[in-house]
Amino acid sequence: MIAGIDLGTTNSLIGVYESGFPTLLADSEGKRLIPSVVFYPENGIPVVGREGLRMQALHPERAAASVKRFIGRRFGEEETEALSGPKGSPVTLPINGKNLTPEQVSAEILKTLKVVAEERLGTSVNRVVITVPAYFNDAQRAATRRAGELAGFVVERILSEPTAAALAYGLDRLQENSKVAVYDLGGGTFDLSILRLDNGVFQVLSTHGDTRLGGDDLDEAIAGLLLREAGITALTLEMKVRLKEAARAAKELLSNEESTAVLLPFMEGSKSLEVPLTRSQVEEICGPIIARTRAHCLRALEDAGLKSEEIDQVILVGGSTRMPLVQRLVAEIFGKQPNLSQHPDEAVALGAVLQGAILEGNLRNIVLLDVTPLSLGIETFGGLMNVIIPRNTTIPTKAGEMFTNAVAGQSGMKIIILQGERELAGDNWTLGSFQIPFPPLPKGAARVGVQFSIDADGILQVLARDTVTGSEKIVEIQSAVEVSDEAVEAMLAGSLEHAIEDMDARIFTEARLKAEEMLPAVKVALEQFGSELPESEVLDIREKSSEVQAALASKETTRLNQAISSLDDATQTLATKLIERGMG
Amino acid sequence: MNPFDLLGLSRRPLLSDEEIGSAYRKLAGESHPDQSGGDAAIFREISEAAAILRDPSRRLRQLSGSSVGSQLPPEADQLFPRIATLLQQADNLIKKQAAASNALAKALLAAPIKNLRADLDSTLNQLHKWKTSLDQELAKIDSRWPEHDPNAVSLLADSYTYAGRWESQLRERKLSLDCI
Repeated sequence: MIAGIDLGTTNSLIGVYESGFPTLLADSEGKRLIPSVVFYPENGIPVVGREGLRMQALHPERAAASVKRFIGRRFGEEETEALSGPKGSPVTLPINGKNLTPEQVSAEILKTLKVVAEERLGTSVNRVVITVPAYFNDAQRAATRRAGELAGFVVERILSEPTAAALAYGLDRLQENSKVAVYDLGGGTFDLSILRLDNGVFQVLSTHGDTRLGGDDLDEAIAGLLLREAGITALTLEMKVRLKEAARAAKELLSNEESTAVLLPFMEGSKSLEVPLTRSQVEEICGPIIARTRAHCLRALEDAGLKSEEIDQVILVGGSTRMPLVQRLVAEIFGKQPNLSQHPDEAVALGAVLQGAILEGNLRNIVLLDVTPLSLGIETFGGLMNVIIPRNTTIPTKAGEMFTNAVAGQSGMKIIILQGERELAGDNWTLGSFQIPFPPLPKGAARVGVQFSIDADGILQVLARDTVTGSEKIVEIQSAVEVSDEAVEAMLAGSLEHAIEDMDARIFTEARLKAEEMLPAVKVALEQFGSELPESEVLDIREKSSEVQAALASKETTRLNQAISSLDDATQTLATKLIERGMG
Repeated sequence: MNPFDLLGLSRRPLLSDEEIGSAYRKLAGESHPDQSGGDAAIFREISEAAAILRDPSRRLRQLSGSSVGSQLPPEADQLFPRIATLLQQADNLIKKQAAASNALAKALLAAPIKNLRADLDSTLNQLHKWKTSLDQELAKIDSRWPEHDPNAVSLLADSYTYAGRWESQLRERKLSLDCI
């Protein structure tokens, strides 16, 4: 039996194919949705799920939540700024004095799902299909696969979430020939995939997304709003967790109600947080975040070579698509009402179950033709990316390149593998590098063919073949940084000590860059349009510019940030005038 | 085997995306390694064949047997300077816009971006007209097929390469501007 798992940012689910139907399995409390939270008690085994969530509220420093956002990532990337560690090495989470990898934490969630399924079925469950965001890169997919293996599973397939959802949607519509878009906005990630459904064949035409955009970001934004409204500044970690929970609850409630009130007793000493909240307030603060999904929709349409009116159905999945704001945006982008037939939390898991049934031969005449979301290439001389497998190529796929020796007797050559869409090699994600061995031959006489293959999981394998001798070998790709465990430990210990200093320095640098960009802009704008403003306003702007300069010189971060923000406010009218002029 | 035979399509210059896609889905569905009796090697060959045929320039090169870049189409020669400049301007502005962290700096860019958008639109329009004329030429060649002038086929293939690449580059910049 092959089970299907949706390993989500906030919640996870498991299911199996039983007597001709995909079924999701409930835990002992009768719940199918298992929170993706792992709590590490001082002694004893980790606690996962709702119990983990309850414990997190009491001891947040011992809990790992939303760990999917870190899986397959390295320190120094945008997403991991909250964590500090040696730049470029795989992310670890400091919990209870230990550095845990996201794979280890995810494995705990998967183990719990395994137990849920085995208790419910009375038999062991060893083989699984696990879903990942379509826009996950090679490292994120490989890390998810490793998490499955750590949990004791044989991972039969890593499947893209929107593709899984399309499968769940299309199961009852196998005779149809249609074009569908799946808009998947979950707890931490966003994907938009466009598929062609044609007599049981599910062909992905294109996919785009953002692996750092989801309900989590909305909760953060709402929590920030609540704090500002309540005038609370200092917060303990416990309070942060409570506040975010309250923000999430309010967000969910406001999908159905027009207004609510958030009440959190004893937030700051004896001070309670009590804030009335309306749907329109939440929509105003979440609007810009949700709007970021538009670009991905447009790009996916462009890549599929389709216009929005050619899409027959837009299927919504992921918990965040319950928000009326999201549904309105989707309707506006695609020019039609979205299809709400799928359960937002369950469609992906059901699709994973169906893919398991396909692999076992229990579901015939259905097949998924998925694609690789990101272009794969190698770094060329001059630091550019040479694309070898373009994005949206149907997988599994293979492509080859021939290499030769540039000088006589050269023994090898280093190849750097890249994934991404940017022209400059350095702007893309470096998957790693490998060495092509050359036999000692005159210049240009060596011939080594390198074959890049992307398997059905979307994971890369590299094979080198010496065409002179005919010998072949699977090339081991070195991860982007090669540091031993001890070296990582040492670097971590060092960097943690400096983390606080680094953080302050970084915040000041950010503020300084902002100021240095702003001052000349203010100068130019005043020169061009100063005469159209009342003199008092010009004076005000000049005064606030001087304060920014003074704050810059003082090197005080807080003062500089305040000065920048008041200059920003003072130049509002000026900015509006400029835009009017630009559009006119 | 050549891509036309692999997908069971006739060896002609004019093939619709729908014809190719439909033949591809049927055969790819049967040969996908997840299916019993599937074969990964055959699946890849079919996928590659479909990718070649969907691209009119690669399809024409299959028919004419010529390789890329043998001649520069006069339209491409004429359009190139304008497109190169436009791409450079666009990248420059997109970079500035992304870096602008305050309302005032963003506002200063509003006018140049508006002008760039208009330039992009008019050049895309020009490219579109060129592509339409290429499609007409393709239909003309197809109507006389298999009789054909190998040079004309090869020139058409090159023209499609340039037009297609430039169109996607300009559209990409336009999308980036729209999405900031």
